[in-house]
Amino acid sequence: MSLYPMKLVTIVCEAILEERVVELLRQAGAHGHTAFSVRGSGNQGERHADISETGNVQVEIIAKPAVAEALLKRLHSELFSSYAMVAYESDVRVMRPDKF
Amino acid sequence: MDFFSAIQSNLLSPAVLFFVLGIFAAVTKSDLKFPESLYSTLTIYLLIAIGFKGGVAINEAGIGVVWLPAAAAMTLGGLIPLWTYPVLRHFGKFSIADAGAIAAHYGSVSAVTFIAATNFLKSINQPYETYASAFLAVMESPAIIVGVMLGKGALGGKFSLSDQGVRHALRDSVLGKGVLLLIGSMIIGALSGKGGMASVEGFFVMPFQGVLALFLLEMGMVAGRRLGDLKKVGFFLLLFGISAPILHGSAGVLLGHLVGLSTGGATLMGVLSASASYIAAPAAVRLSLPEANPTFSLTAALAITFPFNITFGIPLFHELAKHLHV
Repeated sequence: MSLYPMKLVTIVCEAILEERVVELLRQAGAHGHTAFSVRGSGNQGERHADISETGNVQVEIIAKPAVAEALLKRLHSELFSSYAMVAYESDVRVMRPDKF
Repeated sequence: MDFFSAIQSNLLSPAVLFFVLGIFAAVTKSDLKFPESLYSTLTIYLLIAIGFKGGVAINEAGIGVVWLPAAAAMTLGGLIPLWTYPVLRHFGKFSIADAGAIAAHYGSVSAVTFIAATNFLKSINQPYETYASAFLAVMESPAIIVGVMLGKGALGGKFSLSDQGVRHALRDSVLGKGVLLLIGSMIIGALSGKGGMASVEGFFVMPFQGVLALFLLEMGMVAGRRLGDLKKVGFFLLLFGISAPILHGSAGVLLGHLVGLSTGGATLMGVLSASASYIAAPAAVRLSLPEANPTFSLTAALAITFPFNITFGIPLFHELAKHLHV
Protein backbone atom coordinates (compact mmCIF):
# COMPACT_ATOMS: atom_id res chain seq x y z
CA MET A 1 0.00 0.00 0.00
CA SER A 2 1.48 3.36 -0.91
CA LEU A 3 0.83 6.58 0.95
CA TYR A 4 1.26 10.09 -0.43
CA PRO A 5 2.26 13.21 1.53
CA MET A 6 -0.40 15.90 1.93
CA LYS A 7 -1.06 18.83 4.30
CA LEU A 8 -3.74 18.91 6.97
CA VAL A 9 -4.85 22.47 7.74
CA THR A 10 -6.74 22.92 11.01
CA ILE A 11 -8.63 26.13 11.71
CA VAL A 12 -10.30 26.85 15.05
CA CYS A 13 -12.43 30.00 14.91
CA GLU A 14 -15.62 31.73 16.04
CA ALA A 15 -18.59 29.68 14.87
CA ILE A 16 -20.11 32.62 12.99
CA LEU A 17 -17.07 32.57 10.69
CA GLU A 18 -17.63 29.03 9.43
CA GLU A 19 -19.37 30.09 6.24
CA ARG A 20 -16.68 32.62 5.35
CA VAL A 21 -13.86 30.20 6.08
CA VAL A 22 -15.46 27.53 3.91
CA GLU A 23 -15.96 30.03 1.09
CA LEU A 24 -12.33 31.04 1.39
CA LEU A 25 -10.94 27.50 1.41
CA ARG A 26 -12.95 26.63 -1.70
CA GLN A 27 -11.47 29.68 -3.42
CA ALA A 28 -7.98 28.61 -2.35
CA GLY A 29 -8.52 25.32 -4.14
CA ALA A 30 -9.41 22.85 -1.37
CA HIS A 31 -11.85 20.15 -2.47
CA GLY A 32 -13.64 19.54 0.80
CA HIS A 33 -13.64 20.09 4.53
CA THR A 34 -14.85 18.68 7.85
CA ALA A 35 -16.27 20.93 10.58
CA PHE A 36 -17.31 20.30 14.14
CA SER A 37 -18.41 22.40 17.12
CA VAL A 38 -15.80 22.79 19.83
CA ARG A 39 -15.32 24.74 23.03
CA GLY A 40 -12.27 26.09 24.79
CA SER A 41 -10.47 29.24 25.81
CA GLY A 42 -7.90 31.61 24.38
CA ASN A 43 -6.53 35.10 24.76
CA GLN A 44 -9.91 36.56 23.80
CA GLY A 45 -11.70 34.72 26.60
CA GLU A 46 -13.65 31.51 27.06
CA ARG A 47 -15.84 30.16 24.30
CA HIS A 48 -18.87 28.23 25.49
CA ALA A 49 -20.60 25.83 23.17
CA ASP A 50 -24.16 26.05 24.48
CA ILE A 51 -25.19 28.83 22.10
CA SER A 52 -24.08 28.04 18.58
CA GLU A 53 -23.54 31.71 17.74
CA THR A 54 -21.01 32.20 20.52
CA GLY A 55 -19.26 28.85 20.24
CA ASN A 56 -16.19 27.83 18.31
CA VAL A 57 -15.90 25.66 15.27
CA GLN A 58 -12.98 23.55 14.09
CA VAL A 59 -12.56 23.20 10.35
CA GLU A 60 -10.17 20.66 8.88
CA ILE A 61 -8.99 20.40 5.31
CA ILE A 62 -6.57 18.03 3.63
CA ALA A 63 -4.95 19.64 0.61
CA LYS A 64 -1.84 19.85 -1.57
CA PRO A 65 0.97 21.89 0.01
CA ALA A 66 0.49 24.79 -2.41
CA VAL A 67 -3.22 25.01 -1.62
CA ALA A 68 -2.56 24.81 2.11
CA GLU A 69 -0.07 27.66 1.86
CA ALA A 70 -2.41 29.82 -0.22
CA LEU A 71 -5.19 29.21 2.28
CA LEU A 72 -3.08 30.11 5.32
CA LYS A 73 -1.87 33.28 3.57
CA ARG A 74 -5.43 34.41 2.90
CA LEU A 75 -6.55 33.61 6.46
CA HIS A 76 -3.63 35.70 7.67
CA SER A 77 -4.37 38.70 5.49
CA GLU A 78 -8.19 38.66 5.69
CA LEU A 79 -9.32 37.28 9.03
CA PHE A 80 -6.58 36.93 11.65
CA SER A 81 -6.52 40.57 12.72
CA SER A 82 -10.28 40.80 13.30
CA TYR A 83 -11.36 37.50 14.81
CA ALA A 84 -10.52 35.03 17.53
CA MET A 85 -8.93 32.18 15.61
CA VAL A 86 -5.92 29.91 15.16
CA ALA A 87 -4.82 27.98 12.10
CA TYR A 88 -1.98 25.53 11.59
CA GLU A 89 -0.85 22.91 9.14
CA SER A 90 0.62 19.49 9.70
CA ASP A 91 1.92 16.65 7.56
CA VAL A 92 -0.35 13.74 6.84
CA ARG A 93 -0.23 10.87 4.39
CA VAL A 94 -3.20 9.80 2.34
CA MET A 95 -4.04 6.84 0.15
CA ARG A 96 -5.81 8.56 -2.72
CA PRO A 97 -3.94 11.78 -3.56
CA ASP A 98 -6.21 12.70 -6.48
CA LYS A 99 -9.10 13.10 -4.00
CA PHE A 100 -7.48 16.20 -2.55
CA MET B 1 -52.52 46.00 41.39
CA ASP B 2 -50.18 48.78 42.47
CA PHE B 3 -46.70 49.29 41.08
CA PHE B 4 -44.77 47.70 43.94
CA SER B 5 -46.86 44.58 44.20
CA ALA B 6 -46.57 44.27 40.42
CA ILE B 7 -42.77 44.36 40.71
CA GLN B 8 -42.94 41.88 43.52
CA SER B 9 -45.16 39.43 41.67
CA ASN B 10 -42.90 39.77 38.62
CA LEU B 11 -39.79 39.00 40.67
CA LEU B 12 -41.48 35.94 42.14
CA SER B 13 -42.58 34.50 38.79
CA PRO B 14 -41.01 31.13 37.90
CA ALA B 15 -39.38 32.64 34.79
CA VAL B 16 -37.48 35.33 36.72
CA LEU B 17 -36.61 32.95 39.56
CA PHE B 18 -35.16 30.43 37.11
CA PHE B 19 -33.16 33.26 35.55
CA VAL B 20 -31.72 34.02 38.99
CA LEU B 21 -30.95 30.32 39.48
CA GLY B 22 -29.05 30.39 36.19
CA ILE B 23 -26.99 33.39 37.30
CA PHE B 24 -26.24 31.58 40.55
CA ALA B 25 -25.12 28.48 38.64
CA ALA B 26 -22.77 30.55 36.47
CA VAL B 27 -21.34 32.60 39.32
CA THR B 28 -20.64 29.51 41.44
CA LYS B 29 -19.13 27.78 38.38
CA SER B 30 -21.57 24.90 38.70
CA ASP B 31 -21.15 21.99 36.30
CA LEU B 32 -24.69 22.61 35.02
CA LYS B 33 -24.58 23.01 31.26
CA PHE B 34 -27.25 22.98 28.56
CA PRO B 35 -26.37 21.07 25.40
CA GLU B 36 -26.27 23.33 22.34
CA SER B 37 -29.05 21.34 20.70
CA LEU B 38 -31.40 21.98 23.64
CA TYR B 39 -30.78 25.72 23.52
CA SER B 40 -31.52 25.75 19.78
CA THR B 41 -34.63 23.63 20.28
CA LEU B 42 -36.02 25.93 22.98
CA THR B 43 -35.33 28.99 20.80
CA ILE B 44 -37.11 27.46 17.82
CA TYR B 45 -40.06 26.45 20.00
CA LEU B 46 -40.47 29.90 21.57
CA LEU B 47 -40.21 31.74 18.25
CA ILE B 48 -42.71 29.46 16.51
CA ALA B 49 -45.13 29.58 19.45
CA ILE B 50 -45.25 33.39 19.62
CA GLY B 51 -45.19 33.76 15.83
CA PHE B 52 -48.09 31.37 15.44
CA LYS B 53 -50.13 32.99 18.20
CA GLY B 54 -49.49 36.39 16.63
CA GLY B 55 -50.56 35.10 13.23
CA VAL B 56 -53.84 33.76 14.57
CA ALA B 57 -54.43 37.14 16.22
CA ILE B 58 -53.75 38.94 12.93
CA ASN B 59 -56.26 36.64 11.26
CA GLU B 60 -58.88 37.71 13.82
CA ALA B 61 -58.06 41.41 14.03
CA GLY B 62 -57.41 41.89 10.31
CA ILE B 63 -54.20 43.25 8.80
CA GLY B 64 -55.82 46.71 8.57
CA VAL B 65 -55.49 47.07 12.35
CA VAL B 66 -51.95 45.75 12.56
CA TRP B 67 -50.05 47.67 9.90
CA LEU B 68 -49.98 51.10 11.59
CA PRO B 69 -48.55 50.06 14.99
CA ALA B 70 -46.20 47.63 13.19
CA ALA B 71 -44.89 50.41 10.93
CA ALA B 72 -44.50 52.68 13.96
CA ALA B 73 -42.56 49.97 15.83
CA MET B 74 -40.31 49.37 12.84
CA THR B 75 -39.59 53.09 12.45
CA LEU B 76 -38.76 53.51 16.12
CA GLY B 77 -36.39 50.51 15.96
CA GLY B 78 -34.56 52.01 13.00
CA LEU B 79 -34.35 55.45 14.63
CA ILE B 80 -32.98 54.37 18.02
CA PRO B 81 -29.39 53.91 16.70
CA LEU B 82 -29.47 57.45 15.28
CA TRP B 83 -29.48 59.00 18.73
CA THR B 84 -27.67 56.31 20.70
CA TYR B 85 -24.71 56.46 18.29
CA PRO B 86 -23.80 60.14 18.90
CA VAL B 87 -24.32 59.71 22.66
CA LEU B 88 -21.95 56.75 22.71
CA ARG B 89 -19.42 58.57 20.52
CA HIS B 90 -19.36 61.88 22.39
CA PHE B 91 -20.13 61.00 26.00
CA GLY B 92 -18.98 57.40 26.08
CA LYS B 93 -15.87 58.08 23.94
CA PHE B 94 -16.41 54.86 22.01
CA SER B 95 -14.81 54.26 18.61
CA ILE B 96 -16.97 54.57 15.49
CA ALA B 97 -17.25 50.78 15.19
CA ASP B 98 -18.04 50.22 18.88
CA ALA B 99 -20.66 52.98 18.96
CA GLY B 100 -22.30 51.58 15.81
CA ALA B 101 -22.24 48.06 17.25
CA ILE B 102 -23.82 49.05 20.57
CA ALA B 103 -26.40 51.21 18.78
CA ALA B 104 -27.37 48.24 16.59
CA HIS B 105 -27.87 46.02 19.67
CA TYR B 106 -30.05 48.59 21.43
CA GLY B 107 -32.24 49.38 18.45
CA SER B 108 -32.83 45.71 17.76
CA VAL B 109 -34.98 43.63 20.09
CA SER B 110 -34.90 40.67 22.45
CA ALA B 111 -37.61 38.07 21.88
CA VAL B 112 -37.27 36.65 25.37
CA THR B 113 -37.79 40.04 26.99
CA PHE B 114 -40.95 40.38 24.90
CA ILE B 115 -42.15 36.93 25.95
CA ALA B 116 -41.44 37.68 29.61
CA ALA B 117 -43.53 40.84 29.22
CA THR B 118 -46.52 38.97 27.74
CA ASN B 119 -46.17 36.58 30.66
CA PHE B 120 -46.24 39.44 33.13
CA LEU B 121 -49.33 40.96 31.50
CA LYS B 122 -51.09 37.60 31.65
CA SER B 123 -50.21 37.15 35.31
CA ILE B 124 -51.77 40.49 36.27
CA ASN B 125 -54.77 39.91 33.95
CA GLN B 126 -53.92 42.83 31.72
CA PRO B 127 -55.29 42.21 28.22
CA TYR B 128 -53.02 43.01 25.26
CA GLU B 129 -53.05 42.82 21.47
CA THR B 130 -51.88 39.26 20.78
CA TYR B 131 -50.71 40.34 17.31
CA ALA B 132 -47.95 42.36 19.03
CA SER B 133 -45.49 39.62 18.06
CA ALA B 134 -45.67 41.22 14.61
CA PHE B 135 -43.89 44.25 16.14
CA LEU B 136 -41.20 41.94 17.45
CA ALA B 137 -40.69 40.48 13.98
CA VAL B 138 -40.32 43.83 12.21
CA MET B 139 -38.15 45.50 14.85
CA GLU B 140 -35.25 43.10 14.68
CA SER B 141 -33.56 44.05 11.40
CA PRO B 142 -33.82 47.83 10.78
CA ALA B 143 -31.61 48.81 13.71
CA ILE B 144 -28.96 46.25 12.82
CA ILE B 145 -28.72 47.69 9.33
CA VAL B 146 -28.62 51.31 10.57
CA GLY B 147 -26.14 50.49 13.36
CA VAL B 148 -23.79 48.64 11.01
CA MET B 149 -23.90 51.51 8.52
CA LEU B 150 -23.02 53.98 11.29
CA GLY B 151 -20.29 51.70 12.58
CA LYS B 152 -18.80 51.45 9.10
CA GLY B 153 -18.42 55.23 9.10
CA ALA B 154 -21.53 56.16 7.12
CA LEU B 155 -21.47 59.62 8.71
CA GLY B 156 -18.00 60.22 7.28
CA GLY B 157 -19.06 58.93 3.86
CA LYS B 158 -17.08 55.71 4.31
CA PHE B 159 -19.61 53.07 3.51
CA SER B 160 -20.19 50.76 0.62
CA LEU B 161 -22.86 48.14 0.07
CA SER B 162 -20.41 46.00 -1.87
CA ASP B 163 -18.43 45.33 1.33
CA GLN B 164 -18.56 41.56 1.87
CA GLY B 165 -19.11 41.86 5.62
CA VAL B 166 -21.98 44.28 5.14
CA ARG B 167 -23.66 41.98 2.66
CA HIS B 168 -23.41 39.08 5.12
CA ALA B 169 -24.90 41.23 7.86
CA LEU B 170 -27.78 42.40 5.70
CA ARG B 171 -28.61 38.87 4.67
CA ASP B 172 -28.30 37.53 8.20
CA SER B 173 -30.45 40.22 9.75
CA VAL B 174 -33.20 39.97 7.15
CA LEU B 175 -33.17 36.22 6.56
CA GLY B 176 -31.73 35.00 9.86
CA LYS B 177 -33.49 32.14 11.61
CA GLY B 178 -35.19 34.47 14.11
CA VAL B 179 -36.97 36.57 11.53
CA LEU B 180 -37.63 33.57 9.29
CA LEU B 181 -39.27 31.54 12.07
CA LEU B 182 -41.28 34.46 13.44
CA ILE B 183 -42.62 35.71 10.10
CA GLY B 184 -43.02 32.18 8.73
CA SER B 185 -45.07 30.91 11.65
CA MET B 186 -47.00 34.16 11.74
CA ILE B 187 -48.09 33.60 8.13
CA ILE B 188 -48.97 29.99 8.97
CA GLY B 189 -50.97 31.16 11.99
CA ALA B 190 -52.76 33.82 9.93
CA LEU B 191 -53.64 31.31 7.21
CA SER B 192 -54.81 28.54 9.52
CA GLY B 193 -56.66 30.80 11.98
CA LYS B 194 -58.58 29.63 15.01
CA GLY B 195 -59.08 26.09 13.73
CA GLY B 196 -55.34 25.74 13.23
CA MET B 197 -54.72 27.05 16.72
CA ALA B 198 -57.07 24.44 18.20
CA SER B 199 -55.04 21.66 16.57
CA VAL B 200 -51.61 22.78 17.87
CA GLU B 201 -52.67 24.42 21.14
CA GLY B 202 -51.71 21.40 23.22
CA PHE B 203 -48.12 21.71 22.07
CA PHE B 204 -47.52 25.41 21.47
CA VAL B 205 -49.62 27.02 24.22
CA MET B 206 -49.97 24.71 27.20
CA PRO B 207 -46.25 23.85 27.79
CA PHE B 208 -45.14 27.39 26.93
CA GLN B 209 -44.55 28.58 30.50
CA GLY B 210 -42.41 25.58 31.33
CA VAL B 211 -40.31 25.99 28.21
CA LEU B 212 -39.82 29.67 29.00
CA ALA B 213 -38.66 28.80 32.52
CA LEU B 214 -36.12 26.33 31.11
CA PHE B 215 -34.94 28.89 28.59
CA LEU B 216 -34.48 31.58 31.23
CA LEU B 217 -32.44 29.19 33.33
CA GLU B 218 -30.04 28.97 30.40
CA MET B 219 -30.19 32.74 29.83
CA GLY B 220 -29.28 33.24 33.47
CA MET B 221 -26.16 31.15 32.97
CA VAL B 222 -25.23 33.03 29.80
CA ALA B 223 -25.77 36.40 31.51
CA GLY B 224 -24.02 35.24 34.69
CA ARG B 225 -20.86 34.35 32.79
CA ARG B 226 -20.79 37.92 31.50
CA LEU B 227 -20.97 39.49 34.97
CA GLY B 228 -17.18 39.31 35.28
CA ASP B 229 -16.89 41.55 32.21
CA LEU B 230 -18.82 44.35 33.92
CA LYS B 231 -15.56 45.65 35.33
CA LYS B 232 -14.09 45.84 31.84
CA VAL B 233 -16.87 47.89 30.26
CA GLY B 234 -16.67 50.90 32.54
CA PHE B 235 -19.15 53.06 34.42
CA PHE B 236 -20.52 54.85 31.37
CA LEU B 237 -21.82 51.66 29.75
CA LEU B 238 -23.36 50.56 33.04
CA LEU B 239 -25.27 53.82 33.21
CA PHE B 240 -26.17 53.53 29.53
CA GLY B 241 -27.39 49.95 30.00
CA ILE B 242 -30.01 51.16 32.49
CA SER B 243 -30.90 54.62 31.17
CA ALA B 244 -31.21 53.61 27.49
CA PRO B 245 -33.99 51.08 28.19
CA ILE B 246 -35.84 53.55 30.43
CA LEU B 247 -35.70 56.25 27.74
CA HIS B 248 -36.45 53.95 24.78
CA GLY B 249 -39.14 52.10 26.73
CA SER B 250 -40.93 55.34 27.60
CA ALA B 251 -40.73 56.43 23.95
CA GLY B 252 -42.16 53.06 22.92
CA VAL B 253 -45.05 53.26 25.40
CA LEU B 254 -45.86 56.77 24.22
CA LEU B 255 -45.72 55.77 20.56
CA GLY B 256 -47.87 52.71 21.25
CA HIS B 257 -50.41 54.95 22.95
CA LEU B 258 -50.38 57.40 20.03
CA VAL B 259 -51.05 54.71 17.43
CA GLY B 260 -54.01 53.50 19.44
CA LEU B 261 -52.75 50.44 21.28
CA SER B 262 -54.34 49.37 24.59
CA THR B 263 -52.47 49.60 27.91
CA GLY B 264 -51.15 46.06 27.38
CA GLY B 265 -50.13 46.70 23.77
CA ALA B 266 -48.40 49.99 24.61
CA THR B 267 -46.53 48.18 27.41
CA LEU B 268 -45.31 45.61 24.91
CA MET B 269 -44.17 48.24 22.44
CA GLY B 270 -42.32 49.92 25.28
CA VAL B 271 -40.67 46.68 26.32
CA LEU B 272 -39.61 45.95 22.74
CA SER B 273 -38.08 49.42 22.34
CA ALA B 274 -36.32 49.06 25.69
CA SER B 275 -34.90 45.63 24.95
CA ALA B 276 -31.51 45.02 23.38
CA SER B 277 -30.69 42.14 21.07
CA TYR B 278 -28.15 39.58 22.23
CA ILE B 279 -28.45 36.87 19.57
CA ALA B 280 -29.29 38.29 16.15
CA ALA B 281 -27.41 41.58 16.50
CA PRO B 282 -24.18 40.12 17.93
CA ALA B 283 -23.84 37.58 15.11
CA ALA B 284 -24.59 40.09 12.34
CA VAL B 285 -22.43 42.80 13.91
CA ARG B 286 -19.49 40.47 14.52
CA LEU B 287 -19.38 39.62 10.83
CA SER B 288 -19.85 43.14 9.52
CA LEU B 289 -17.99 45.20 12.15
CA PRO B 290 -15.16 42.89 13.22
CA GLU B 291 -13.18 45.81 14.65
CA ALA B 292 -15.89 46.45 17.27
CA ASN B 293 -15.24 44.82 20.62
CA PRO B 294 -18.11 42.38 21.31
CA THR B 295 -17.45 42.57 25.06
CA PHE B 296 -18.97 46.07 25.18
CA SER B 297 -22.20 45.42 23.33
CA LEU B 298 -22.83 41.89 24.62
CA THR B 299 -22.11 42.68 28.26
CA ALA B 300 -24.32 45.76 28.17
CA ALA B 301 -27.18 43.98 26.40
CA LEU B 302 -26.97 40.72 28.30
CA ALA B 303 -25.62 41.46 31.77
CA ILE B 304 -27.17 44.90 32.33
CA THR B 305 -30.17 45.67 30.12
CA PHE B 306 -31.73 42.20 29.91
CA PRO B 307 -31.83 41.60 33.69
CA PHE B 308 -33.02 45.19 34.26
CA ASN B 309 -35.88 44.79 31.80
CA ILE B 310 -37.18 41.45 33.00
CA THR B 311 -37.12 42.49 36.66
CA PHE B 312 -37.97 46.20 36.86
CA GLY B 313 -38.40 47.43 33.28
CA ILE B 314 -41.52 45.47 32.42
CA PRO B 315 -43.61 46.59 35.44
CA LEU B 316 -42.27 50.12 34.96
CA PHE B 317 -43.44 50.37 31.33
CA HIS B 318 -46.77 48.87 32.30
CA GLU B 319 -47.16 51.53 34.97
CA LEU B 320 -46.36 54.24 32.42
CA ALA B 321 -48.86 52.81 29.94
CA LYS B 322 -51.53 52.71 32.65
CA HIS B 323 -51.00 56.38 33.46
CA LEU B 324 -51.24 57.38 29.81
CA HIS B 325 -54.57 55.59 29.47
CA VAL B 326 -56.26 57.27 32.40
